[in-house]
Amino acid sequence: MSLSGSQTFGVDSLALSDLPGNTSILLTGDDSAALEAIFYRLVAAPDSEQSIVLATDSDGRSTQRALKKALRGAADRASVLSCEGAARGEDVTSVEDMSDLTRLGMDFSGAFAEAQQDPDPVRAGILLCSTIMGEVDDTRSVYRFLNSNFLSQLRRGNALGVCAIDTSADIGTDVNSTIAGLETSFGARIHVESTGRKQATLEISGLSNHDGTVDVSW
Amino acid sequence: MYANDVSNRTVLCVDTGDAVEEMAEAIRAEDGLEPVTATSITEATAQLDSQSVDCVVTEYELSDGTGLDIVKQLRSNDPQTPVVLFTDVSPSEIETASFEEMIVEYLNRELPDAFDRLGFIVDDVITHSAQVGFLVPDSEGSRLDALAEYDVDELPIEESFTRLTDLIADRFDVAVAFIGLIEKDVENFLACTGSDWDSLTREDTICTHSMLQEDVMVVEDINEDSRFANNDTLQNLGIVSYAGANMTNKDGEVIGQVCVIDHERREYSAAERETLQQFAATAMEILELRQSLRNARRTEVEA
Repeated sequence: MSLSGSQTFGVDSLALSDLPGNTSILLTGDDSAALEAIFYRLVAAPDSEQSIVLATDSDGRSTQRALKKALRGAADRASVLSCEGAARGEDVTSVEDMSDLTRLGMDFSGAFAEAQQDPDPVRAGILLCSTIMGEVDDTRSVYRFLNSNFLSQLRRGNALGVCAIDTSADIGTDVNSTIAGLETSFGARIHVESTGRKQATLEISGLSNHDGTVDVSW
Repeated sequence: MYANDVSNRTVLCVDTGDAVEEMAEAIRAEDGLEPVTATSITEATAQLDSQSVDCVVTEYELSDGTGLDIVKQLRSNDPQTPVVLFTDVSPSEIETASFEEMIVEYLNRELPDAFDRLGFIVDDVITHSAQVGFLVPDSEGSRLDALAEYDVDELPIEESFTRLTDLIADRFDVAVAFIGLIEKDVENFLACTGSDWDSLTREDTICTHSMLQEDVMVVEDINEDSRFANNDTLQNLGIVSYAGANMTNKDGEVIGQVCVIDHERREYSAAERETLQQFAATAMEILELRQSLRNARRTEVEA
């Protein structure tokens, strides 16, 4: 039912390699452009892999363009759940109301089950989980969504997952306390500190031999 | 892994007519899962009233309602029991308007491997408590193992802890002070000055959030925090402000919390937070000493 445990993932543009399956990454930062750039580099699927992207703040075409920009051909290997605009284009599903986590959860489960009909390993990502947190009334349902859907699918599918939080967003609670909690449920964290135009320093923890700081540009 | 009793997992299967047997067969094929069946919401309700189940698998379209009606009913009584919606109705055709924020696992039963996958998913959601409404630490298994090392029910700690919570309530001039251990599904209060709380479902507690951060967690007013503002249990208990410090064992595992609660908004200075942390360390020391004494006596008896 799940992929073999030997699956590993790499991100050439960020000099990350040999990330094991079922790696969950909490991606944080207060510069949304930098956060987005790093997110798409992490989830863009190279040949023989596939992606599932839940995009809360952009439409399907923009999401596909961002994937394509991150890695040539990645858009063709992605299934997008978009919370903005109509479902235009192949492999784009429109999410009418992101605060309807019942539907969103089913859409996400469905996309994962569909992807697993194919043997290609899966990368999955949420950009931005902080937007969902800001939309729902009860944060417990977001935790249930993350436990039930996101983290469970990564575990079962031996996938690579990235959940992005914009720390400058108003999520109706103490963002630092929330991240401290989220960090314990995720295997790794990458914090993006913007250092200039299209430049950032990544603070990486939980990715074994990659832990430390890395300067990147795009 | 922090599994339930794998030899005895009851799964309620709900589907119309003969289809329920096919569903039950898929569950039975997975080791450790035992199905019970219902063919309507009425029958499912009777089953849920008469026995404890570890998971519910339901078709969406039922003769007297939908699978989500069962979920809604289950969530009000037992919010942590996982549910798998096993149906050929696509998510876009499922009426979710009155069920927002109610998370279920969705599995399209028309997928080629759907029936093979069903048992695997049910086993997984039970084993990993996958639908709980709180963040589960990555180290939950070792944390629960650490907690299990204390024979809490056998230790003479109640009086000591009650004296301690009396002191804490007095020191902070708060309505309630308590010492709680955080189990897999609930928080059990070992001492509680100012109220008579016994236990709370874990997803309703603030401590399940507090335990995830190293320093003392303060919520000055839960009404201004989206994690707690819509939590009816906290509201009904009259909780407005909260401060909690971790009880951490020698291996770094957080097993419980020492907390102060007030019925009005309040802040805690850095010095007060430090004091609360000291009280938590004291509670941990009392627990460790009592357990060490018990272990030593047990060794003597065995010798």
